[in-house]
Amino acid sequence: MHDRYPISSRRPSRPALLHPSSFILHPLALALALLLLCQRAPAAPAPDWESSLVYLEVTRRAYEVFQPWTPKSRTVQKNGLVIGAREILTTAEELSDRTLVRVQRGGRGKWWDAEVVWLDYHANLAVLTAKEDAFWTGLKPATFITGKLPKEGLQIVRWRSGNLEARKAEFNQFLVEDARLSFFQHLQLEASTEMQAVGWAEPLVANGKVAGLATGQGGNNARFLPASFIEPILAARKAGKYPGLGFFPFTWTPVENPSTFKFLKLPGDPRGALVIDVPATPKVEPNLKPRDLILQVDGFDVDNQGYYKDPDYGQLIVENLGSRRKFAGEVVKMKIWRDGAQMNLDYRLPKLDYSVKLLAEQTFDQAPEFLIAGGLVLQPLNIPLLRGFGEDWKRRAPFRLAHYAGGPPSAERSGLVVLTSVLPDPYVVGYQDARFLVVDTVNGQKISRLADVQAALEKPQDGFHTIEFHRGDNLLRIVLDAGLMDAATKRILERYRIPAASHIGVKP
Amino acid sequence: MKESFPNPKLDPPRAHRHFSEVSIKSICSLLAVLALSSLPTLAADPEKAVVQIFTFAQEADWDEPWKFGQLRRSSGTGFIIKGRRIMTNAHVVSWARQLMVKRYQDPRPYLARVVFVAHDCDLALLEVEDSLFYDGVEPLEFGPLPKVRSSVVTYGYPAGGEQISYTRGVVSRIELQTYAHIGNRSLLGVQTDAAINPGNSGGPVIQDDKVIGVAFQGMPGLENAGFFIPAPVINHFLDDIKDGKYDGFPSAGIRTAPLQNAAYRRKLKLPDNDKGVRVDSVLPGTPAEKVLRPDDVILQVGKHEVGSDGTIIYEGNRMALAMAVQEAQHGQSMALKIWRDGKEQSIALPVEVSGTDKVLGNQYDTPPRYFVYAGLVFTPISLDYLKTFGRGWSDTAGAELTYELFYRRQESPKTVRIEPIVLSTVLADGVNANFRTRGRALVDKINGIRIERLEDVIRAFESPSNGQHVVEFLPKNTFECLERESADKANAQILKTYGIPKDRRL
Repeated sequence: MHDRYPISSRRPSRPALLHPSSFILHPLALALALLLLCQRAPAAPAPDWESSLVYLEVTRRAYEVFQPWTPKSRTVQKNGLVIGAREILTTAEELSDRTLVRVQRGGRGKWWDAEVVWLDYHANLAVLTAKEDAFWTGLKPATFITGKLPKEGLQIVRWRSGNLEARKAEFNQFLVEDARLSFFQHLQLEASTEMQAVGWAEPLVANGKVAGLATGQGGNNARFLPASFIEPILAARKAGKYPGLGFFPFTWTPVENPSTFKFLKLPGDPRGALVIDVPATPKVEPNLKPRDLILQVDGFDVDNQGYYKDPDYGQLIVENLGSRRKFAGEVVKMKIWRDGAQMNLDYRLPKLDYSVKLLAEQTFDQAPEFLIAGGLVLQPLNIPLLRGFGEDWKRRAPFRLAHYAGGPPSAERSGLVVLTSVLPDPYVVGYQDARFLVVDTVNGQKISRLADVQAALEKPQDGFHTIEFHRGDNLLRIVLDAGLMDAATKRILERYRIPAASHIGVKP
Repeated sequence: MKESFPNPKLDPPRAHRHFSEVSIKSICSLLAVLALSSLPTLAADPEKAVVQIFTFAQEADWDEPWKFGQLRRSSGTGFIIKGRRIMTNAHVVSWARQLMVKRYQDPRPYLARVVFVAHDCDLALLEVEDSLFYDGVEPLEFGPLPKVRSSVVTYGYPAGGEQISYTRGVVSRIELQTYAHIGNRSLLGVQTDAAINPGNSGGPVIQDDKVIGVAFQGMPGLENAGFFIPAPVINHFLDDIKDGKYDGFPSAGIRTAPLQNAAYRRKLKLPDNDKGVRVDSVLPGTPAEKVLRPDDVILQVGKHEVGSDGTIIYEGNRMALAMAVQEAQHGQSMALKIWRDGKEQSIALPVEVSGTDKVLGNQYDTPPRYFVYAGLVFTPISLDYLKTFGRGWSDTAGAELTYELFYRRQESPKTVRIEPIVLSTVLADGVNANFRTRGRALVDKINGIRIERLEDVIRAFESPSNGQHVVEFLPKNTFECLERESADKANAQILKTYGIPKDRRL
């Protein structure tokens, strides 16, 4: 992950005043500052970018993870790029749960209402439009670099304080890493720059064309979606043939041990990526098996480190071939080594879907689900909820909750529901300290989703609700009076000023 | 949970002491004398029975288990009791290679040895062979559990001086405390505002001429609070060893939950009062499985009535029900009154010392089991092993090792292994140089044999394997292969290269 500098409010429009003593500079420091100024002086921006680059302001709902009934408002500003007739491209980040999107041209002046016309969170791309004709006057679409991306002459451009800012970017590397908003890996471009707070869809440009869009920054290194990743998606979308991105859901490992190749009976030089885990979901037919060696993908030989030689970008890990000009549902042709023999496998790429994991990776554009039942606050266990423990949730969240992350759903349980807290009330005396317990059953019925809880609470047993939690070192069972639950819930909602007892979007 | 620390006096400064320190010491002594002048009457010279203990210890290395750490010197306090024994803390004498004791105002050191050690309750008994050691010393006797707010005096040799130190305080509270030495047990402990500092450990806490406790730990961040092991725990230890071996404090094998919700009480047909705690779960593999079940309500343990919050009244102090269980010895049965199926019943609950939670606490004196083959070092997973990952071990050890050690037994008892084994490290050699797995990996199978315990590793490597050994790891099914002939040949040389005296400790 890369550090970001979120812009939770508008950027300052003018520099802060300095204390007078700040102006007393040592001559050496002054000389150094002048030298730096010379080096950092923005190169003269190509005038075309002023008519292609627009500024966006997005206001969206954000939620307190453990009090999801209290939405907040959050406003960010980012960049957009005119890419065609009445179309603006930007990254999808911060566009979820949006309530107002506005665009500005020339980096200052009037804001115009805009709307998102297409969006793919996995690809981290979105297309917007503005209805009013006047907005588009004088704006020109930018063009993307097609084919191999240049490593020289790169610049980052953006609107800043009403002026177009352009800074040099030094190419570092192409790499295949986790997507910004998804769990798959794809090609990214890393470049170093003096520009700070990069990551808000600033275009990376070269020779008057777009080479990429910024997605994040760590130190001086900024990450970009390369044009070669973006452009095929936009082309497919334009043609109405974009099914979404596919991915490789299996896990593989490099093999350096000659003895392992001997065990696998592979003759010749060591080669191939060793498959070690193939999840049951998503379903892929035909599929790989553990201990298959992937020798070739779409004609590219795979070495024993799991790399192939990309004609444009050099050595990249095999994961990239799941998104290199291929989409969900398309076939990737593999040569594999299985049970001592080589065979061909037409691997049909499954579609990226946040719900393929036991804990959903993202819950964009859905208000968080919750259910308050007689003071018990129940929520789906998902990664956004775990992020409520902080950026380093893997360390700070209760171990048992975090350990579910990455696990696959099973036939009997497609998700998990967690009791996150208990709102104190006479009805729940004795249970007020219960928290972060994963629900196993309610009134004997297995629970995967909040809607299951709601349905199970319709069927009390002998006048009681019995809630059982997953076996562990914590409380296993609580019992509540079924007849008093509704009145208790009503009382609790009033006392704690909660507008509704539930928000449940997904049916069982 | 509160964090506690034991108080060994580590390497006390003996030379180069500044004059100013001596001045401060003098002031402290004066304060002690002034304080003592207002104390209740004490035995003539209890300090004559208080000894200073010097420990030279060498701890095991849990990552490279054939090794031991550097020799460390520390000191603590002990006191002579009847039977020509010295009582002190287990943590004062853990991993001792040599023990020396010095009597009050006697320059001569005497060699001592550990006769009994109880790491769960942090107590030990030492013996000095030289009978001269006991000449002219009246052994100290034990008294009862003190009352809260009563005065006590601690005797010991805390850091910063060679003379005995006395400090007075009052008993602040009495309740179950986590014993930091073992880390995963809570036993009766007494909090006092008498200063208990490193070096005081093992010293007697005296009231009315009797030892009513053994000083043993402090608590970071809590000022004017020291803790001592009270008489009930000491007596349990002394009763336990009467048969010549120490078993430990038993547990009931159940988890309980407060029964304070009116609906739950009504469901169980119990009166809506403050009596009875509910059995929430019964721990697998314990004797409790045969006599208790979830939703039984424990009304009384022995002579103690049980409150709805799971507490009993013990000697006038309200504390957790576990206290009543800890009065019994390993293998005894406790009389319980329970509520089941709408009526009261009497049952006998056998209580035992848990063998399975040993690896979940700090272990002492017994170095880890291991087996080395072709540079692959196998050892059982334990808390001590995880601690080799450093201070933040719970973050760095990896979820799978943490889950295996602390959670699997509770959550998936059917999949639990008797003694999960890790490949702790790979000693580099040509025969294993191409392994990607370099250690700290949980072992699933070797040559197709599921590894339940260390002996299975040896058996698996000795089983026929078609010219290759295949070692499989959890959780992602990674595996490594090893040429059997080369591995067999390299084995002896690897042991020699790395100075490993034996390929196994079982």
